[in-house]
Amino acid sequence: MTVMDEAFWGARAGSIDALERELGRLRRAAVAHAKERGQALARASVLNLVVYAEREIHARRAARAVADLALRHPSRAIIVLGDRSREGVLASLQLHCHVPQSDGAQPVLYEQILARVRGDFDERVASVVIPLLVPDLPVFLWWTGTPPSDARHVDDLVTLADRLIVDSADFARADLTLPEVARLARLRVGITDLNWARLTHWRELIAQFFDVPTWRPFLDGITGIRAGFAVDMDGRDIHPSQALLLLGWMASRLGWRPVEALAPSEAGGVLFKMARSDNAAVMVRLRPRFERGLDTGDVSGVRIQAALGRESAEFVIKRAPDQRHATATAVVGGVVRAERVVPLPALGIRELLVEELAIAGNDHVYEAALAALMALA
Amino acid sequence: MTVTLANPLREGLRLARTPEPASLVIFGASGDLTSRKLVPALYNLALQHLLPASFGVIGSARRAMTEDVFRAELHDAVAEFSRTRPINEEVWTTFARSIRYVPTPDESGFNELGRVLARVDGEIGANGNRLFYLATPPAAYEPIIRAIGAHGLRGASGWSRVVVEKPYGHDLDSAMRLTSVVQEVFREDEVFRIDHYLGKETVQNILVLRFANSIFEPIWTRQFVDHVQITAAESIGIEERAGYYDSAGAMRDIVQNHLLQLLALVGMEPPSAFDDRSVRDEKVKVLRALRQIAPEEVGELTVRGQYGQGFIGGERVVGYRDEPGVAPNSQTETYVALKCFIDNWRWEGTPFYIRTGKRLPKRSTEIAIRFRVAPHRIFTREASEGLDANELVIRIQPDEGISLTFGAKVPVQGLRIRSVNMDFGYGESFMVDAPDSYETLILDALRGDATLFTRRDEVEQQWAFVDPILAGWHAGRQELATYAAGTWGPEQADALIARDSRTWRRP
Repeated sequence: MTVMDEAFWGARAGSIDALERELGRLRRAAVAHAKERGQALARASVLNLVVYAEREIHARRAARAVADLALRHPSRAIIVLGDRSREGVLASLQLHCHVPQSDGAQPVLYEQILARVRGDFDERVASVVIPLLVPDLPVFLWWTGTPPSDARHVDDLVTLADRLIVDSADFARADLTLPEVARLARLRVGITDLNWARLTHWRELIAQFFDVPTWRPFLDGITGIRAGFAVDMDGRDIHPSQALLLLGWMASRLGWRPVEALAPSEAGGVLFKMARSDNAAVMVRLRPRFERGLDTGDVSGVRIQAALGRESAEFVIKRAPDQRHATATAVVGGVVRAERVVPLPALGIRELLVEELAIAGNDHVYEAALAALMALA
Repeated sequence: MTVTLANPLREGLRLARTPEPASLVIFGASGDLTSRKLVPALYNLALQHLLPASFGVIGSARRAMTEDVFRAELHDAVAEFSRTRPINEEVWTTFARSIRYVPTPDESGFNELGRVLARVDGEIGANGNRLFYLATPPAAYEPIIRAIGAHGLRGASGWSRVVVEKPYGHDLDSAMRLTSVVQEVFREDEVFRIDHYLGKETVQNILVLRFANSIFEPIWTRQFVDHVQITAAESIGIEERAGYYDSAGAMRDIVQNHLLQLLALVGMEPPSAFDDRSVRDEKVKVLRALRQIAPEEVGELTVRGQYGQGFIGGERVVGYRDEPGVAPNSQTETYVALKCFIDNWRWEGTPFYIRTGKRLPKRSTEIAIRFRVAPHRIFTREASEGLDANELVIRIQPDEGISLTFGAKVPVQGLRIRSVNMDFGYGESFMVDAPDSYETLILDALRGDATLFTRRDEVEQQWAFVDPILAGWHAGRQELATYAAGTWGPEQADALIARDSRTWRRP
């Protein structure tokens, strides 16, 4: 086990001081190795990335994503792997560090540290992380899994961070956890929800319809929204959180308020009645659909219905069966006015992180969408 | 004039505003620029969802050709020249549906173009918004602009704009004449003179480096800067451009536009805002302060050269006069070096050395700010042998980045100082494919943002600086030097800077 561990996580170090020495040695070795090949090695760091995981498999998946990411966002990655399996055992710490090789044309040096904390570690985990942070660089905390509510280690680590990254698609009960995430926002940390990042292209495409001056007035005349989200074949795993975020976004941007939640129209579907700022009703239906090739919870299509006086319009974005494209169609007065195919690939964790790590400030639009969503629940 | 309501869904998204639906009319649609740059750029914009939700492209050229042939040719061009490959057929197919072709061999062609434009307008709801792109050889600019006016191709409503490619005139008179023709049909704020250097990320970053940071601007003056070197080196020869190049030369091809723009960005005062008016006002001011080199001074302050045969990357290459299409006794310069001064409070007495050439050993465009040496030397001469003055280098292409050299102690017993390099590479820090400059510029023109385009007075100042030098050369006051292909230019250029006890950098 330890041998395998070292193959993946790198050399073991006995203390934080020893870890720093080991990293220095690895850095020099990597530079010397690069020089032999006539390359210059840049030690570039633009951020500290702290990953918190409680399962080895999550930690390893995160480590791989971070290694891929290093080319775009070279970082010092500190992976904290909490192991509560041996309850009552005195907290112990195991450190590994690693200077992974990159094979690209521009070799970049980044550093990865594993801190395995065991037993009752809630109180001490921050004290392990603090000395390992590179000074002056922003700290991003990536919490894999569901952040527990009211836990000391969550608050301690979040307080250290400039930005918290979560994935509400992973939350067992998004309806219970999203309010918890909203609470963390009050700790003055910017929040990134990877599930929100999955919606960026959808938001862009929806917004684009209303950049067209002649269609812009329909934005104030929306009467209905239908969105589909993917479920697995037997329809058991129902995760509407992404579709709910999309709805929360539109509601917060357009000033809608919830009126009532109507009876589910079909298994797992949600039906809402909302009110526009002029009090006209907006009917919202989110419904689960089986879509081959989509991850559970991913939005598969959006249909926006609007009316202005007698003229009606429909704006539709639908994923193509290949799951890499979507068709965006505008139908005004029953006539197709524009239809185009645009790329809409399902993004992996790495692509989502790349986009989100580029944002340093708070995402007020997300926070507003979240707040609107809370009002619905 | 209709007032467009703001779109509340835009907040937090990448672009504050995508362009309104519009028709893009490309003149010179069968040419190289269209197939190598414009259409690949449009296609990549479509891939990134940056084109308006409805959009029309109308290609026009003298040649008769069906729309299907035109689309097929563009498809192959995109497949070959796009920065993203392979071509995404699904996206191309819907994009290609928006492409039309109208031959304009004569006046009746322009009438047909007007009809097609009106039809496309109705189909896409463009409301008369039209962007005309002149991608033809310069001789066709004036007739096309007049035809746009004569045939009423400007929409009855909406906006009309025109993008004019380089070269914009071949001297001050011709540039002013072209402007007066353009202004028969377009207002100055509807004219977008392209200098594709300005669309490069790193060129825009000169402004960010200078004006988004507080530590550089205080030392960006004559008190701290010893001199500035601007280099645009190319390893290629003239390729298939002999016809144009032999009549233009490096001065008109590179110095008049690209290098003077870089000089303006490095030398300008801080604008009060990042918008088209403020930025261009400041650029014009610094170009106006650029000290003229009179015809009788060209022997002292300029060098012109022409490459002979030599080696590039291990391959033997022919000399300029042996290139196909070049006259065997051509006097056209393929290399220019200049020593310039900006006569203002900030730069008084600080030389700006600029140089460009073809068939130099490598491709490299960079700006180097050389600072003065420390005022008082406290370390022994022996200890500081390996120490150079501080230098800030902005690399524009390839390998975009910024580096700063400073002295550091060599870790040995005793004191030894040498220069080390602190290097920032865009590639390593962001690892994002920078958008192509044509993508940036077409998008800006569609959105009506002229910040990165050259204004009439800028172009005129640039020609006003270049014309007397060309006149001096023409009068034989500076002979044409030769240099072997694959070297850093003629020795006269080394002498030009050596007279000031300085040397050119090796980029």
